[in-house]
Amino acid sequence: MAKYGGWSGKILHIDLSNNRIWTEDTIEHYKDYLGGTGIGYKVMWDEVPARTKPYDPENRIIFAVGPLAGTGAPCNGRTAITTLWPTCSPLPLVATGHMGGQFAAKLKYAGYDAVIIKGKAAHPVWISIVDQKVDIQDARRLWGEGIRSTTMAISQIMGPEAVVASIGQAGENLVPMSVVMNSVSHSAGGIGSVMGSKNLKAIGVIGTGVVRIAGNKEDWEKLIKYHLSLLGANNQHVVPNSPQPWAEFYDANTRWVGAKGRTWGANARPIETGTCEPHNLNRIAYRTNNAAFFMGDIAWQYTVRGNGCTSCPIRCHTLVKVPSVAMKYGISEVGQNTCSGLNFGRSFFKKFPDGPKGMTNVEASMVGMYLADDLGVWCNYGQMQRDFQKLYYEGIIEKKLGSKEFKSYSWKKYEKGDPSFLFELFPKIASKEGELGTVLGLGTGYLLERWSISEKEWGKDKELSYWKMGHPKHHSTEEAGQCGLLINMQYNRDSQCHSHINVIRNGLPLEIQKNLAAEIWGSPKAIDAVAAYTPMHRSKAKMAKWSVLRKELHDSLSLCNWMGPWIASPLKERGYRGDDSIESMLYSLATGDKKDRQELDAVAERIFLLHRAITIRDMGTKEMRTKHDIAPDWAFTDSSGKPPFTKGTLHLDRKDASTAVDMFYDEMGWDRVTGAPTAGTYRKFGLSKIAEELGRRNLLPGA
Amino acid sequence: MIRQCSEEGRLISEDEILVCAANQRLLSSPPADRSEEVKNILNSIAKKSGDVHKLIAQDGTRRFYSSQFMTEAYAMILLQKQGDPLQLIAEIVRQNSKVYPRPVPLDIFTRPPFDLAEQEIMDHIKQMATDKAYCDIGLITTSTSRDFLYSALHLEPAHASLLAEWLDAGRANNP
Repeated sequence: MAKYGGWSGKILHIDLSNNRIWTEDTIEHYKDYLGGTGIGYKVMWDEVPARTKPYDPENRIIFAVGPLAGTGAPCNGRTAITTLWPTCSPLPLVATGHMGGQFAAKLKYAGYDAVIIKGKAAHPVWISIVDQKVDIQDARRLWGEGIRSTTMAISQIMGPEAVVASIGQAGENLVPMSVVMNSVSHSAGGIGSVMGSKNLKAIGVIGTGVVRIAGNKEDWEKLIKYHLSLLGANNQHVVPNSPQPWAEFYDANTRWVGAKGRTWGANARPIETGTCEPHNLNRIAYRTNNAAFFMGDIAWQYTVRGNGCTSCPIRCHTLVKVPSVAMKYGISEVGQNTCSGLNFGRSFFKKFPDGPKGMTNVEASMVGMYLADDLGVWCNYGQMQRDFQKLYYEGIIEKKLGSKEFKSYSWKKYEKGDPSFLFELFPKIASKEGELGTVLGLGTGYLLERWSISEKEWGKDKELSYWKMGHPKHHSTEEAGQCGLLINMQYNRDSQCHSHINVIRNGLPLEIQKNLAAEIWGSPKAIDAVAAYTPMHRSKAKMAKWSVLRKELHDSLSLCNWMGPWIASPLKERGYRGDDSIESMLYSLATGDKKDRQELDAVAERIFLLHRAITIRDMGTKEMRTKHDIAPDWAFTDSSGKPPFTKGTLHLDRKDASTAVDMFYDEMGWDRVTGAPTAGTYRKFGLSKIAEELGRRNLLPGA
Repeated sequence: MIRQCSEEGRLISEDEILVCAANQRLLSSPPADRSEEVKNILNSIAKKSGDVHKLIAQDGTRRFYSSQFMTEAYAMILLQKQGDPLQLIAEIVRQNSKVYPRPVPLDIFTRPPFDLAEQEIMDHIKQMATDKAYCDIGLITTSTSRDFLYSALHLEPAHASLLAEWLDAGRANNP
């Protein structure tokens, strides 16, 4: 029997240039990096030289999962995909995308912790994984097909138990704004064209094995139930969005929308969600309905049920059935997705004829899902839609497009909020047709470059939410003050970090949140009320560090950072505390490698440090403070002219932000002047060889 | 009875308990004394049991709930709902402004447990605007025409206004 539970034990390597397939031992090579992004970053450091381009055969695409994927741990359905990011500008750098669904578990059951793909196939192929039997199959027949038909075709070949992760036409056509998607609606953005560049259409997986749990079965089941008891609704919102008999608190803005009288109306037998009392673990799935949350109450009547990932009771992908769209637009009456996917189509429009939450908003959502989730177009966390609106309404599109192309679009339809406009736009993005289709598919950074628009100008418009390097902010200064600022500076795409926001938005009163903050980060000052920010405090830097490390930990263990961490819970008897040690308890019991919270956080720090090292190496500079860890002007300005820290303003003070960066670097063991980790910090986390390599390249501080 | 009502999301009044108890032949005294007997029993239950609590309504009558199934916060909403709706709205708004802090979208009052009609709410808001007792309650309309209320006792107008816009439009665009 293997020494450790949790891991499957094998890494699958595939070189598409020469059809070579081999495996290596996970524990021997990657245990210190857990899995997921940890494996991804390790491979990128070891195997992909600096200045490699995303579409070079030498680039790797790493589908990796962690020791908790495929177990009974809640929210373990995440696959981390690491590669050089084609929308990262001006220089593509390492980044990760994350897809839920069933792929992660199936890969583990097939016996693999990761699939590492390099090279480029001579013609379109797809990879078939059936336990130990791995084949590279001809995909010429599938090339040109959408994600849905590809998934169907491969499922017909492999059998209904297969999980298929496929790209659409956008990925094939090397559109940087493209996704890979499994299980119909679970996508990872930014990946599609890297697969397309390798002539890789899809990966189909059947796994018939199991994931062994090292610990005692009763202890494991007890831990799972304990973890379930701490869950809230989607995004770990721990209070319902309307007063409930059992609830002390409510917040009209949480995703805990289930309540007596709210019914999944399109189910064959309509199902009332009920009051969703938090101790009833069998009702967790009824709490969240993201269609109703985003589209409004109108969506209840179209809701069939919640759908989602392996072993996750949250079901954040709402399955909706809207018969009228079949007649009106000739599309499937059924669709499913979660937040950004549900919003994809509707966010292109400034207004709808029947208001923001009327029937047209539902139709726009359905049309958007139908097109984007088949063509495999990515929205870059809504940046494509925000860019589009600004470019159109400020007359830039008209200026940049030739008259013939501009007139070829039905702009009146667009202005009216007619969803059929999306049929004109989406296929052009997926096929790089015309100037507009081409620029929208580039991603913001390269769009601005192509149209000679200053990135600095784009960063002045708060409504655009543009952050840096071609990507938007992801829960930054506007609702998390300095903590949000620090987190959003760290990554080479939008940060995708939810550790902090799952606390800030959880719906609990400020005083309770501050008590939790004091317990975890040493002071209630770590958290401010939104738009009532206070000057920098050491605890905010600690919160930012904790947030980033927990994100990396989740992405490496295969826990969902859209749900965790779980430092708050819906349980009054616990003072609404969650448990900050859930991750280490799950890890220790699943693998048999006993680590407490601090020890596991140290592994996460090693992983994040590796991300920093690759970024420094590939940028060829240690001047991270001035060249990488930057923020847009909108984060420091307010149209009212009021000074920072005035109640009712969202902006920060530049000097205070600089103090925040100092404190964060101190917490991380990074040099204050350059923002580069010191040699001592690399050594402390077992990365001496990386320190040596960076030293040779003059990329260590003080050198 | 009390626990069952609480589980169903309702308060139960003394009169209801009296009728139920009589119907179920749980009372021993002659009819004239039953009210007093129920009062004594309920006082005793409220004292002895850990979960049964009484609330006094505006008209002086008593309502009961079980904290096994209902929080005090919810019970207070139900109690205030039976009284003055203006006071109910104001209390909810003040509490939200103080505790979270945040403004309250008006549409929350159209839903359970408030269940007020839209027009009714608008009429109440108009009344509040002319009543000194509610001079701290302010109305904000966001860019998507959604109305929010806040209490100036706990939230500065500019702060409330920004939060309303953020909660309505900002958060929706930043899922």
